Amino acid sequence: MSLAIAGMGWVTPLGTGIDSVWERLLQGEEASATAISEQFVDRVYNVFRVPESGLKEISHPRLRRASAISRFAAVAGLHALESAGLKLESQNAERIALVFAISNGGVVYTKRFYHQIVGTGAQSASPLLFPETVFNAPASHLAAILGVTGATYTLIGDGAVGLTAITMAEQLMANEGLDYCLVVGSEEIDWLLCDAYRRWRLLRAAPPIEPFSTQHRGMILSEGAGAIVLARNGFVTIERAHAGGHFGRRAEAGKTLQRILCDLREPQVDFVISSANGTFVDQAELEALQEVVPNALIYTGKPALGESVGAAGLWQIILAAQALRSKEIAPVLHTNRSLRLRLPFFRTPMPAARRAIVLSCGLNQQAAGLRMAIG
Amino acid sequence: MAQTDRRESTNNPARVAVTAAGVISPLGFGLAETLDSLRSARDCVTPVMRFSVTQCRCKTAGQVSDSRLLAGNSQIPRSGRLHRASHMMIQALQELVTRQPGFEPELTVIGTTSGGMSYGERYYRSLNGAGDLRKAPTWIANYPAQKPVIDAQTAFGISAPCHVIANACASGTNAIGHAFECVRSGRYQRVLAGGYDALAEMVFVGFDSLQASTPDKCRPFDRQRSGMVLGEGAAVLALENLELARKRAAPVLAEIIGYGISTDNFHITQPEPSGIGARQAMERALTSAHVSAADVDYINAHGTATLFNDATEGKAISALFNGVPVSSTKSMMGHSLGAAGAIEAIVCLLALQHQFLPANINFTVPDENVDLDIIANEPRSAAVSIALSNSFGFGGTNASLIMRKFEA
Repeated sequence: MSLAIAGMGWVTPLGTGIDSVWERLLQGEEASATAISEQFVDRVYNVFRVPESGLKEISHPRLRRASAISRFAAVAGLHALESAGLKLESQNAERIALVFAISNGGVVYTKRFYHQIVGTGAQSASPLLFPETVFNAPASHLAAILGVTGATYTLIGDGAVGLTAITMAEQLMANEGLDYCLVVGSEEIDWLLCDAYRRWRLLRAAPPIEPFSTQHRGMILSEGAGAIVLARNGFVTIERAHAGGHFGRRAEAGKTLQRILCDLREPQVDFVISSANGTFVDQAELEALQEVVPNALIYTGKPALGESVGAAGLWQIILAAQALRSKEIAPVLHTNRSLRLRLPFFRTPMPAARRAIVLSCGLNQQAAGLRMAIG
Repeated sequence: MAQTDRRESTNNPARVAVTAAGVISPLGFGLAETLDSLRSARDCVTPVMRFSVTQCRCKTAGQVSDSRLLAGNSQIPRSGRLHRASHMMIQALQELVTRQPGFEPELTVIGTTSGGMSYGERYYRSLNGAGDLRKAPTWIANYPAQKPVIDAQTAFGISAPCHVIANACASGTNAIGHAFECVRSGRYQRVLAGGYDALAEMVFVGFDSLQASTPDKCRPFDRQRSGMVLGEGAAVLALENLELARKRAAPVLAEIIGYGISTDNFHITQPEPSGIGARQAMERALTSAHVSAADVDYINAHGTATLFNDATEGKAISALFNGVPVSSTKSMMGHSLGAAGAIEAIVCLLALQHQFLPANINFTVPDENVDLDIIANEPRSAAVSIALSNSFGFGGTNASLIMRKFEA
């Protein structure tokens, strides 16, 4: 069995829509940062936010009280179905599964709900907020908006969860009762998340993200969603989804990535979409890439788009699919040019490119990869 | 690696054995204590002391003893930093590994709803001026939902990739069901599956704010039911290709034969009133198991004791089944959310192994609108060949699992 991408949707800080975001990346553009603050602490963080204009097109009763994470997912999911030419009706609603990749979840409402408990006591906690704090709330809204009545799964993990979700989708599609699987990853930003990642020494105060730098200065968080419709036929094939692995310590991440890359490198790949984001991930990926695929071109979109954690894996797959389709790759921004790694510093044509690996090293012990090809 | 081989065997599906299990819940540490509590119809719900519940309607929960939990894992490096959920997962997996040391999973699928939520709460309270933030990096590192799974795997040298499913209260059943399908399809031979959740203030207050939890006893399917009580715990099952399990002479505790999932899209917190979502999940599980409703000997109901759940689940069960004995063991241990489906699968496993029907305690007044054979207050001895377990969650996600007594 092989799976293929039949449709995609993309909501990012650089805009909404596959072609427009891709074109901006090819032009070497990057998202601009916004400062966010918190009422009881002085510290300010810079993040990449989704422009409000990208979300205006959607309105649904389920989204009235929903957090941004659900709205991003709804827009990306609807775009993906539309680009696949897929319309859900009662006859086929059971034949599509939904796998929703998530990492931090509905952190805005979670914080607000807990703030009510801490601030004014349990009696003041809003029953309207609590359901939105549950990890599968965005998936539930999306299933309701689309009318999915079959399998709906929310998969939780770190930045690698988007690729793990593809593996799960592949497992689900082994069931001949399914024709499609919509895989969505979504993330929203809050000050609290930034503070948590800073305390974990993974965040930097302001852009840029400097991938593969010898000093790991940290990442900038971003928000948005990515969605992919998987089918048995499509424009790009998922040749192999690796189930991934985990590492006990950060220093062991490189070995885990090497194992994944070794399983994916044959037949020869032309380029790799890496998850380098200015943290310890970069060193781990650098070692693994130099060792296993030294001749492949390496791209990371995180300097331009930020680290969107739960959405990041889907964004990487979209980047790979677009590069395979358009036969060119966008420039890697803010990187060290003296590295022993083939990085595109400019918009680079790849006329013969047929295969790509998407590699993801999460910030909390998970790693995954997959190989894609175009006919 | 199993995924290198993309064979499908949907026409000749593999039989799926449960070859070992481990559990920790308010009912006890391990299968033996759990069985004893079930046989005694023990009420294991106690007053909550972990955080203040003075402003909540509900003041009780099914809880796992901390002193016993932490003492059991003192040999784990840096165990003092781990979240309680990690400790629960480690102890549940320890029981499984002790019983079945030869089990090496290719994949792990675990359900949860709240991960390390109480560490997030500590972090937020400290940020808000009520505490010391020096431990914040530890809280943050142990907050993610996959951490307890990785901690448990690491403790026993298991390196399988893991899927962590967060489908609200159906998570545990979804995890086992998905693992079952992975083995049945022939893509995997051995999958570790289960669920965990640890009590957290935010979740407790959340259910209280919805008035879904009760100040009274948990009385599933009773006319006087007034809501759920929360619980906590962890449970894991070793799922294995039956043929291969027998080849290596592994004990087969039971078979998993069917799984059904549905999404009803009615409301974020309430089930579809006609019971269609629950009914579809059970129908799909029966179809998947190739058995009829009449073949089912016992249903372990989702049975949260909320007005809505029990009314719709009761309606769905009575529409599909004719007089099958039903109980909700949440009456004894509370609702452990993401762990519930996994713990209740173990309850079914014990019922199949020991040929009895676990009780639905605190049952005093039958509900005339719920036409079910409730196993009221005392367990029953019975011939049990096939058991069905239901789990339904927020967001309209519904799951049913069917297990069969193994006949060699």
